[in-house]
Amino acid sequence: MYNLLIFLKKYNNILLFLILEVLCIIMLMNNLPYQKRKLTNVGNAISGKLFKTKTNFTNYFSLKEENQLIVEHNALLMSHLYKINTDTSELMNSQSFDFNFIPANVINNSINNVNNYLLIDKGRKNGIKKDMGVICENGVVGKVVNVTENYASVISMLHPYTIISARFTDNQHIANVSWDNLDYRFGTVNDIPLHLVLEKGDTLVTSGFSNIYPAGIMIGTIEEMIESKSKDFSTAKIRFSTNFSALRHVFVIENLNQTEIDSLTLTQR
Amino acid sequence: MNNRLILNSLRFIGLLFLQVLVIDNIRLGLYIHPHIYVLFIFLLPFNIPNWQLLFAGFFMGLAVDLFNGTPGLNAAACVFMAFIRPLVINGMMRRNDINENDEPSLNTMGTSRFIVYSLLLLLAHNLILFMLEAFSFKLIGVVFLQTLLSVFSSLLLIFIILLLFKKTKKKLL
Repeated sequence: MYNLLIFLKKYNNILLFLILEVLCIIMLMNNLPYQKRKLTNVGNAISGKLFKTKTNFTNYFSLKEENQLIVEHNALLMSHLYKINTDTSELMNSQSFDFNFIPANVINNSINNVNNYLLIDKGRKNGIKKDMGVICENGVVGKVVNVTENYASVISMLHPYTIISARFTDNQHIANVSWDNLDYRFGTVNDIPLHLVLEKGDTLVTSGFSNIYPAGIMIGTIEEMIESKSKDFSTAKIRFSTNFSALRHVFVIENLNQTEIDSLTLTQR
Repeated sequence: MNNRLILNSLRFIGLLFLQVLVIDNIRLGLYIHPHIYVLFIFLLPFNIPNWQLLFAGFFMGLAVDLFNGTPGLNAAACVFMAFIRPLVINGMMRRNDINENDEPSLNTMGTSRFIVYSLLLLLAHNLILFMLEAFSFKLIGVVFLQTLLSVFSSLLLIFIILLLFKKTKKKLL
C-alpha cells in the first residue's frame, strides 16, 4: 500500500497526463461520426449565441451580393412557376409536395478541416430533427446531426462520413458521391460502371433513394476521370455546385412521409 | 497571486475569442490553420505546479473545441503540449537563470530562446492535433505539410501579438 502511494506520488504527473489524454480521446471517438454527446449540446447552446451575434454583424458586409442572389433565385422560381402553369403534367409528377423546406441561416461554417460542420440558427423549436437533409439554392449541403432548442449542427458534404446517392442526368445511372478530404470545391464519384462514357460537365443530381433529399437536387458536375485501380468500376472527380466557402442561407428539408417510410423499412427487416 | 489569476483569466477569454471569432474565420486554404490560443499555455508562470498546467491545457483546449464542435481534439493536443512544457523549459534553461515567479516571455527568456521554446511546443501541439483530426496514415503527407505551415503561421501571429502587448520598461530586440 505504502509502495503504491510512493509510486503515485512519483508518477502523478504522468498519470494525470494519461488520464486527461484518454478522456480527450474518448470524447473525440464518441463524437467522430455524429455529435451526440450532451457536452456538444451545451457547447452549441453557448457558442450558437456568440456566433449568431457575430453573424448579425458580418452579414451587413455582404448585403449587396445577398440581394443579387435573391433576385437570381426569384427569377429561377418564377420560371419554374411559369413552367408548372403551362405544363400540368409536371405538377402531377413533382415530388416536392412530399417535402417541406425550412429556411435557415448559417452562423458558423468550416471548410478547411478534415471533418467539416455547419451551425444553423434553427432548432427543435422550428421543427428541425436529426437526419434531415440540408440544401441551398445551388445544391446539396449536408445532413442535420445534432439539434438543440434553437440551433442545429449539420455535417456537410465535406466530411468523410457523408456519402450521397447520386444519378447522372444524361443516362440515369446511379453512383455514390463522397469527399476526397483535400479541397472544398471537389468531391469524388465512386462506383461508376465501366461502360459509361462520361464527359467533363456531365451533371449529377440526387437520386432520391435516401428519403433525405428529394430527387433531382443538383450535386455537381464532372471535372475529370481518375485512374482507378479497381477493374470493375471507375472513379471521377466532380466540382460541387454548392460554394461551401460562401454559404449563408440554407433550406432544411422535412420529409412529410418520413414516419410512414420508416415503419415500412422496419417491417422489411 | 490574485493578480496573476485575474491576468491569466483575462488572457484565457481574450485568446479564446480571438481564436474562434477572428483567426478561425481567416481561411488560408487546407494547409494553414494558425493556433494562437496556445499562447495562454506558453505564458503561464515558470513555477506553476504541473497538475495545474495540465488542467489549464485541458480546459483551454476544451473551450476552443466547444466552439469548433470537436470535443477532445484541441484538448488532447493542448494537454500533450502542457505535458512537455516543463521538459522543454528544463532542457533549455538553467535553474538559476530563472526567476521562479516570472512567466516565460521575450524579456525573461531572450528572443532566440523564446522562439525555440514556442517552436517546439507549437510543433508538438499541431502534430498531435492534425494527426488526431485525420486519424489515418493515408493522409500522413497532408498532416506533415499542415503541421509545418501552421506552425510557422502560428509563430508569426503569436509574435505579432506579443510585440503588440510588450511591456515597454525594458528595451529589447
